[in-house]
Amino acid sequence: MATATNLPKFNPGFEDNRVRMLWYAILAVTLLVGAYATYRRIVGGMATTNLTSTTPWGAWVAFYIYFIGLSAGAFLVSTLANVFEMEGMEKIDRDALFAAIIAMVVAMLFVWIDLGRMERMYFPFVWRQLTSALAWEVHAYVAYIGILTAELYFSMRADLVRVANQRSGFRARIAGLLTLGRTDLSDQTVSADRTWLKRIGILGIPLAIFFVHGGTGILFAGVKARAYWNSGLFPVIFVISALLSGTALVMAVYVLRRKLFEAKPVDLDLLDRLGQLLLAFVLVDAAFTAIEALIGVMSLEGAHLTAWMTIALGKMAWSFWGVMVGLGWVLPALLTSRRSWRRRPMMMVIAGLSVVVGVVAVRFNIVVPPLVNPVMAGLPAGDYLPTFTEWATSFGIVAVGLLIYTLGAEILPLTPLTEDEH
Amino acid sequence: MSVDSAPGVPELDQGTVDEMVEAEREDPEETLADVEFSTELGLSMAEDAKRVSKGKISSETFWAKYDEAAEREFGENYRNTPNPAVDKDDHCQTIDEPTADQLACSVDSMDSVAEQIESPLEDGDATWGMVIDLQKCVGCDSCTVACKSENRTPPGVTYNVVMEEEHGEFPNTTRTNVPRPCMQCENPSCVQVCPVSATYKMENGIVNIDYDRCIGCRYCMIACPYGARYLDFGDDYGEEVIGDGEITSPEYGVDRGKREDGKSPQANARKCSFCYHRLGRGEEPACVETCIGDARNFGDLDDPESEVSQMADSTRAMQLKEHTGNDPNVYYLK
Repeated sequence: MATATNLPKFNPGFEDNRVRMLWYAILAVTLLVGAYATYRRIVGGMATTNLTSTTPWGAWVAFYIYFIGLSAGAFLVSTLANVFEMEGMEKIDRDALFAAIIAMVVAMLFVWIDLGRMERMYFPFVWRQLTSALAWEVHAYVAYIGILTAELYFSMRADLVRVANQRSGFRARIAGLLTLGRTDLSDQTVSADRTWLKRIGILGIPLAIFFVHGGTGILFAGVKARAYWNSGLFPVIFVISALLSGTALVMAVYVLRRKLFEAKPVDLDLLDRLGQLLLAFVLVDAAFTAIEALIGVMSLEGAHLTAWMTIALGKMAWSFWGVMVGLGWVLPALLTSRRSWRRRPMMMVIAGLSVVVGVVAVRFNIVVPPLVNPVMAGLPAGDYLPTFTEWATSFGIVAVGLLIYTLGAEILPLTPLTEDEH
Repeated sequence: MSVDSAPGVPELDQGTVDEMVEAEREDPEETLADVEFSTELGLSMAEDAKRVSKGKISSETFWAKYDEAAEREFGENYRNTPNPAVDKDDHCQTIDEPTADQLACSVDSMDSVAEQIESPLEDGDATWGMVIDLQKCVGCDSCTVACKSENRTPPGVTYNVVMEEEHGEFPNTTRTNVPRPCMQCENPSCVQVCPVSATYKMENGIVNIDYDRCIGCRYCMIACPYGARYLDFGDDYGEEVIGDGEITSPEYGVDRGKREDGKSPQANARKCSFCYHRLGRGEEPACVETCIGDARNFGDLDDPESEVSQMADSTRAMQLKEHTGNDPNVYYLK
């Protein structure tokens, strides 16, 4: 157990101040542009988008389900540590939980900016509709954010107490506040933390799979008007691609934070294990997507065929072949295919970020293709590409998430302080 | 009054304008002489009515003087016609209630008197439905135009469209025009998915949208199998039409006044309401009234005697996308 004498070096900020300045400068510029775009969107309304009544959902919804997926995936990776107690995984537990919380915040911001009437965002909690997947989802999201926060608290509390006790200054004060007054470091309390961590994690697994991300899949799959979404496999693919993107994100974040914030060696065994997981998820995701596509195309039904033709051969086909298949599946599968490569940190960062970018195209290719083909033959076809306002607000919202993450990584003990004793 | 500033109006002095108006004005004596009823009675009633309105004689005196004479002149119709001029409000009332009772007139505000007139479109238990005869539709799009002007929909919001389908290869081609209003489904997908219950089915079968509750999430537009819903992007016809947006249609019976930026229904989902606001005053939806080929029929689907329910039961009847199970209340005759 850690005491005052053996508390390891706790200095979680950027190692290199130039990297810190550069990073915050990039974030500041992105946030400024995003703030301007958000102002334009609020003043100009939905007319500042390229959305139409034919294509009512676009980039914002794609990013919304993308971040829901990242969050659900990252959370499920965290349960490998605190529920399934896989060896070595506890090192990335807090990384995964913290990233999951931020991804949810980002996802909620995307839902908010996408609402035609942004000022009515709380209405779904006042008036409900039992048959609406979306009504259930917003409640599930709130419960899920609560679970994630409780998880991170129980995972980090003991270290927060240690930081608060043994340091002084800003970080210690923040850490003291975040302990919520539970400052006991006895074995009994620490093991109670671990028990609650596991219990809440067990509660969170069905919530994440069936409600948060499976439910978001059902939000689409339940729409019979859009044949491309309307299948039983669809929510399953949602969950698998969530696991894929979540694993990739946690892997990249683990290595990057380790290198940039702590300048400590990466645990190569852990990295190898994460790489294997990633490879498995890539293969399952690709296989399920192929099954889904085959069933749709074999139905020879008009709406299915046109949706898949739009994806594979339409004017945005590059996003399918290049980004979704190339960056999302092929490149990471290659990079994780050899054991020696899986033990090279920067290679795994590339594999992780490649998937993180590739899954963006997965989400766009879920949302947009069935919405550019009209529901009735005589109605006008859609033609959608996001406007500058949509892109700039999106990057701004992502930058909000990155800013919160960076501040958290600079302040919080995201790496277990006692890890060296394990 | 100055008339010289109006574009396209020749410059005239007030005297000339008055003369022209005088020349155009009908002579009451001549007008009354053209109808079969007594000219003399008409003129003297009109003169005394002016006195009543100026307060020189009471309305009781007026009716005491003319009631019998009018009954003799107009016979049975005189007693059967409600008199909307008799207003319940003290300020406007021309006769008191006992007098009105005695005269067998309706005593109420003008609106209520008008509503008491029996109308085929005012059955409280009705389920409104529409039957569109595709053999009669010529694809003139006048329904679309009538709908736009009745509901004053902004650019990009078109409650009714006519979908033109061409079949076959030249020279053996046929063309079908399929008008598409909101189907007012029995099992509406839009109602199912709305997260805030802003859209719901009314007892008369019409699917309502509460613009004050709709959050603009557009899930209903995603879910509608007929593409019948539109987002109000806040555009207007201000550049084409003077006074655009000054008046809005009282959709779903709610008068929202002037169209203003940022005010609902902007950024809300919108759709055809079967001209709910017209039904209440006994009028058919604008598209039905305007249809040049009488292709559209409107009425109560619950009434087995009604024309629409008989047409909807005919072997020619079909619904769009029957496989969805939405069960539209708009039927088509093949």
